[in-house]
Amino acid sequence: MSVSADPTSTTAKRAASAALIAHLEASGYPRHEPPILQKANLFFNSGEDIRSRLYLTSDLSGAEYCLRPEYTIPVCAHYLASEAAGFAATYSYCGPVFRFRTDGPSEFLQAGLENFGHPDREAADAEILGVTLDAVAALGQSDVDVRFGDNGLIRDLVAALNLSPQWQRRILRGHAQDKSLDAILAQPVNGKGSDHTGVLAALEGVDKQGARALVEDLLSIAGISSVGGRSVAEIADRFLEQAALKAGEDFPTEHHAVLKEFLDIETDPDQASGRLRQLAATTGLDLGAALDRFDARLGFMAARGLDVADFTFSTRFARDLEYYTGFVFEAFDRARPQEEPIVGGGRYDGLLKALGGEGDIGAVGAAIWIERLQLPQRGQMDWWR
Amino acid sequence: MSDVIKPQLVLAVPSKGRLQENASAFFARAGLQFVQGRGARDYRGKIAGLDGVEVAFVSTSEIVTHLAAGTAHLGVTGEDLVRESIADADAKCELLAPLGFGHANVIVAVPQAWIDVRTMADLEDVAVAFRARRGERMRVATKYVNLTRRFFAESHVTDYRIVESLGATEGAPAAGTAELIVDITTTGGTLAANALKILDDGVILRSEANFVASLTAPWTVETREAARIILSRIAAEEVARTTREVSARIAQVDLELFAHAEVLFAARPRRHLADGWLTLTCPKDKVPALADWLLTQGAAEVTVAQLDYVFAEKNKLYEKLVARLP
Repeated sequence: MSVSADPTSTTAKRAASAALIAHLEASGYPRHEPPILQKANLFFNSGEDIRSRLYLTSDLSGAEYCLRPEYTIPVCAHYLASEAAGFAATYSYCGPVFRFRTDGPSEFLQAGLENFGHPDREAADAEILGVTLDAVAALGQSDVDVRFGDNGLIRDLVAALNLSPQWQRRILRGHAQDKSLDAILAQPVNGKGSDHTGVLAALEGVDKQGARALVEDLLSIAGISSVGGRSVAEIADRFLEQAALKAGEDFPTEHHAVLKEFLDIETDPDQASGRLRQLAATTGLDLGAALDRFDARLGFMAARGLDVADFTFSTRFARDLEYYTGFVFEAFDRARPQEEPIVGGGRYDGLLKALGGEGDIGAVGAAIWIERLQLPQRGQMDWWR
Repeated sequence: MSDVIKPQLVLAVPSKGRLQENASAFFARAGLQFVQGRGARDYRGKIAGLDGVEVAFVSTSEIVTHLAAGTAHLGVTGEDLVRESIADADAKCELLAPLGFGHANVIVAVPQAWIDVRTMADLEDVAVAFRARRGERMRVATKYVNLTRRFFAESHVTDYRIVESLGATEGAPAAGTAELIVDITTTGGTLAANALKILDDGVILRSEANFVASLTAPWTVETREAARIILSRIAAEEVARTTREVSARIAQVDLELFAHAEVLFAARPRRHLADGWLTLTCPKDKVPALADWLLTQGAAEVTVAQLDYVFAEKNKLYEKLVARLP
């Protein structure tokens, strides 16, 4: 890691921050700096991983606050509370964030940018990638290896395969966790000894609604109403699905082959596009809309002057953050390919709604880890003077 | 006149409840009698006949705090509390020995009505569906925040939210304040009474009271020596409690007999006299088998005796502690 406390490095970081801010603002991303002290409950719905890393404190009334663990949520909250809510808006930021870590300092610098409500999502995706790469290039970090993926493609694929909801969820989650296809499909459907073949046999020939009504009735006879936040209908549905999976409905071989072929695609973006279209054509699966978006995004990237042929697209590429819903990317310093990415980002269309936004507002953003950049020392370059 | 205050070894023991009674009995068996201060309300005491040891009577959760901070050298507390309250427990503490009481499991329990959920894999799936449907995360009521986070992360369950509960956790699902719980249970009775069931692979920790050493406490020559004495008495009692002395007279004893006894019954020779009397020690549960076998080897009679203490030159507990100290 290139983190150190020597004054040169502090100066370099401060200079890099100033240069980044200037660059992002000049690129149409005005700076918004949320307070360091944030209401803690803003982050409580972001998962226990982030929550366990918060630096918490409280005031005399008992209200809980935390040191800002990241920027995206506070910036989203600011946007939603502003006049711009629902319309196109862009933001950038740069400053310290605080997350408990055991493998490095818990206070570190982060810069980033967000693009909300852009009418053309693929154009916004390309813009975020372009502005981010330009920003680090301006700091002398131009030799980068860009890798990207698209969570939307696999979502459309499993939907087109018409898999049961449980299979769809399992494949998408496994994909987000970067599990191999075999590992995803090999997961136990259920624990030991719960064989519901008897129930299924009894329900053979009964239509789905009838089966569900029967299970619901059984639950209500047993005096079980909605307990623990899930409705009886939900439980009945999943139970029947579970029982059907258990009864030996193995994962269809032809679907396995399609998924495997899909997940094997890792190449330059144009080739990838060709292979995806070919896969759609040979299987007859309707992926047209998703692929048109894919190609449109490549077009916007090329139009910005990005060297698309130099990028790597992978169907398996996923950033292990649950909220990404589409385009995701990371860029690595080619001189240090084993290190962590220096920038990363993607599309997270669900977050604004989850934070109380009205309607479906698109969002895409990126983070720049200043401490992972190879910053020039004083005298090597004079861009900060 | 000036008294030089020598560094004392601080032994933290539970101040009340079942754990206190069990812990006192445990130390008493090892010949370590607590002498409480002036009255029953004094929270500091001594061990009879042992200088250099201060006994602190505190609550079990405080014991963990003292061990982590190094303000107590040794303590008796549940493994659940050690793992929950200390971020890097294995680096700060050494669990010297399980004590055989205070058994309780930390478990994941869901409503019995969830007939479709039996494993953590089910829970992962249900959590995703729950959030997709409602836009909110499934709530888990618990006081074991850290154990829950660690276990759920290992099981890839991420779509949940912890609701801290400081009492009557098992009532949370019925009260509507959480969907499921992570709690401690001994018999499962309370869970059943609240219409909850433990997931098949939902046991996070099988906990019991442990004799725990702090690795951050000031381990001076004096405190080490005090620890050695305490641990050697505990070890002596433990060995005595788990082994028996078996005696018999066999006319024809050859070395092979001892070799067989060791391989078959983990028995070790203690005495062998010329007239054929021999004495062995062996683990308590192997005694009947060893006795039978000795009879087939020509013994007319086999006697078994219980020992009070077995002090050994090598003290496993103390060695375990010293191995972890700088």
